[in-house]
Amino acid sequence: MISAFVVLVRIALRNLFASAINLVIGAIILFGTALVVVGGALLDSVDRAMSSSVIGSVAGHLQVYSAASRDELALYGDFGGEADLSPIQDFPKVKRALLSIEGVRKVVPMGINAALVASGNTVDLVLAELRELSNRKAKKETGLEGELEAQKQHVRQIIRVLRGDLEKSLAVMDKSAIEPEDLAALEQVSKDEFWAGFDRDPFGALEFLENRVAPQVSDADLLYLRYVGTDLGEFLRSFDRIRIVDGGPVPDGKRGFLFAKFFYEEGLKLKTARRLDKIHEALAQSGKKIAGDPVLERYVRENQSQTRDIVLQLGPEKTRLAIERLQRALLSKEQELSALLSSLFATDDSNFQERYRIFYEQVAPLLSLYRVRVGDTLTIKAFTRSGNVRSVNVKVYGTFAMEGLDKSPLAAAANLMDLMTFRDLYGFPSAETAEEISAMKAAAGAKEVDRSRAEEELFGGALVTQGSPVAIEESAVLGVRPRSRAEQLEDRVYTAEEIESGVVLNAAVLLDDAGRVPGVLRRIEELSGRERLGLKAVSWQKASGILGQMATAMKAALFFSAGIVFVIAMVIINNAMMMATLQRTQTIGTLRAIGAQRPFVLSMVLVETLVLGFLFGGGGALLGSLVMLLLGARGIPAFDDATYFFFSGPRLFPTLEVAQIAFALGIVTLVSIVSTLIPAVVATRVSPVVAMQAEE
Amino acid sequence: MPPIVSIVDVVKEYRLGKVVVPALQGVSLEVHPGEFISVAGPSGSGKTTLLNLIGCVDTATRGQVSVGGNDTGKLSERQLTSLRLDTIGFIFQSFNLVSVLTVYQNVELPLLLARRLDSAERRGRVNGLLEQVGIASHERHRPSELSGGQRQRVAVARALVTEPKLVLADEPTANLDSATGQNIIDLMKEMNRRKGTTFIFSTHDPKVMEHANAVIRLSDGRIAGRDLPRGPAEARA
Repeated sequence: MISAFVVLVRIALRNLFASAINLVIGAIILFGTALVVVGGALLDSVDRAMSSSVIGSVAGHLQVYSAASRDELALYGDFGGEADLSPIQDFPKVKRALLSIEGVRKVVPMGINAALVASGNTVDLVLAELRELSNRKAKKETGLEGELEAQKQHVRQIIRVLRGDLEKSLAVMDKSAIEPEDLAALEQVSKDEFWAGFDRDPFGALEFLENRVAPQVSDADLLYLRYVGTDLGEFLRSFDRIRIVDGGPVPDGKRGFLFAKFFYEEGLKLKTARRLDKIHEALAQSGKKIAGDPVLERYVRENQSQTRDIVLQLGPEKTRLAIERLQRALLSKEQELSALLSSLFATDDSNFQERYRIFYEQVAPLLSLYRVRVGDTLTIKAFTRSGNVRSVNVKVYGTFAMEGLDKSPLAAAANLMDLMTFRDLYGFPSAETAEEISAMKAAAGAKEVDRSRAEEELFGGALVTQGSPVAIEESAVLGVRPRSRAEQLEDRVYTAEEIESGVVLNAAVLLDDAGRVPGVLRRIEELSGRERLGLKAVSWQKASGILGQMATAMKAALFFSAGIVFVIAMVIINNAMMMATLQRTQTIGTLRAIGAQRPFVLSMVLVETLVLGFLFGGGGALLGSLVMLLLGARGIPAFDDATYFFFSGPRLFPTLEVAQIAFALGIVTLVSIVSTLIPAVVATRVSPVVAMQAEE
Repeated sequence: MPPIVSIVDVVKEYRLGKVVVPALQGVSLEVHPGEFISVAGPSGSGKTTLLNLIGCVDTATRGQVSVGGNDTGKLSERQLTSLRLDTIGFIFQSFNLVSVLTVYQNVELPLLLARRLDSAERRGRVNGLLEQVGIASHERHRPSELSGGQRQRVAVARALVTEPKLVLADEPTANLDSATGQNIIDLMKEMNRRKGTTFIFSTHDPKVMEHANAVIRLSDGRIAGRDLPRGPAEARA
């Protein structure tokens, strides 16, 4: 038996090198196998890299959400906004049930939503500070004069800049293109009399400035803020890929907000500084040059022309300091700050590092580089699930990064907030908020009105009281109550029970072992059915939404192209073997005549292709392994945001596993056999009579 | 002793489109063990067809062909193949060696198909035969490295290696010069004498026929006669 097989292999090997077409087939098999090995290993490595990042940063191994949801959960967002999920009403019960499943380590409650946040323009920010000071003065606080004066000077500086802008506009534009009211307002607030009267009626003056002057500066940004509401303490303990970068974690049980470092840098940093960072990064990490790079050149141009952000931020004293420092650093006699800044930012490959250093050492300390600083209170306005607008104040404790995903806009754009704030924003207020609302209703005399009696209730009673205008006492409106309410919320420490016993939208489930995902998914479904939890459980891939599916799509694309290669290989192998069979009918006939049964002939043809497959497939696997070894040692750089996400970092160091080689060889074997079946069957049909026909 | 080949009223017709071409028309024949028989006749007389039927590589249209006591018309394709392997050896006009195998491997091949002997027994038998046919020194050569006569010696060894009762040789000397052809016939005759193997070979070379015990003459698909050949001495005279 073995000897017969040896003969078959021997015949196969000899035939292999007898025909040139075999080498062509071999080359195709070699290429196809190498493709499967390299592609498969790469995608598996991407899968592993991505999975550890995604699992360890936000998704967990599994996610559960309400089966009644209209949309499917998409942790990284979906086309057309956030998924519409029904809330999980009784989270403690769900958590208890999930933790009872073997292999489940942690269950972290979550909710994801997004809001637009107006960052306010520079003038607004300066005026807000002035208002704050005026408020404190109105409350008889003393010793504020110096600060107040400096702030007023800052506002006057801004007004001077705006007037300068307007004059420049008038020089090039028709006067009718400029709003006369804007001009009049600017002229009014430029006058010394306006500022002499400021102390008499600070809130009147502020109102004028806020309504008539601030809107003339159009540098306010609307930021799209995506946030994950969660039990922050539990979250940070559960997800090992998250680390705090600036500030610190939100203390356990407190309300608070953590910015994703990426979002913080991209969305909230002074644009000029951000562009400098980006140029710096491109030069240092990617080895790029400014000259010839359209993006970097644009950054330089924008920095030169957009200096107003900085100019408006600086009060007179800081402006003087900045001018002095820049004159010294740039050896310039220029008196105007914006001109000095323009020449500072006129960078090229030779002077960039020096200018970058000057900016951060000399100018940046005078500026606030971020629109929102750690420790500030952030106001977020969001649509609730029912479509009303709600707004909450929440303190920013710091920033965090997701290891591996920290530069991916796809993944790192989600910020973190506590679950109580999330519920308030999402329209599921906590018990205390509900209580507060009913107290407010009672205080305002609001009562539930039956729809059918609404008209009578509202208008049927006594005549509406004639109103008369009265001056509103600003300090009273801005007074003690709302601030103390915000402070109360800020200081309040919630128990774990309070945090969990409320609405959550989804929950991350972390397991002991990633291999248990399918089993636990099944168990959750069983349990949900039995205990009527109404849960839907999905793997982290599925929960990653489009991104998870992109990985699958990439795999599909690879297998599709490998499939095409192998289909071509099949057609060619089939043809070649058919030709070879027809050329060898005499030999086959002889074998049949001297007593070879049909299976022997069948094996002969199959073994021939299998030997071909193994030789060249093995060669392809070897080639693929070498490529992977090389890639594994050098790493593959991420070239855009998407690859950064898939690689889970700036570089992917792919690995190769024996299973992948075995898989590739398995495919080659299958392709070889399938493509040789027809010629092999044809060969068995060769009659032994053929042997008797003389071959001249 | 029962005949090793028994043919009774055999008709073989080929169909070429709508035309039926008769190749054999009512042939009856008996061949006994140990005979050394020549089938003679002009081209198209049916020599090869007769050998095909005896060799079980083709079946009769009508009539009965028995080989080694088996009615071939009643055997399955698989059984016919086994019969060929166990009972019949073939020597072809064009030698039909497997070009990618060595001399030794070509001779060993039928034993591997038969799967009866272990490798030591195989080696002994193949080497013995290679000695007997005088090609032992070429056992590692490939057929392409041998002369026509040497190749046919290898073919003879291959035909005999399974120790068949019957060896069929279709024009075994047709592609050889007369001296070499003579050598091959001598070799076959020698094997016939030494082992008692029955040989049936076709030829139209009178010199080759001289060695046969009997010559069966075919003409237009019919047996025209079965006669003793003139002896070699007579032929030489």
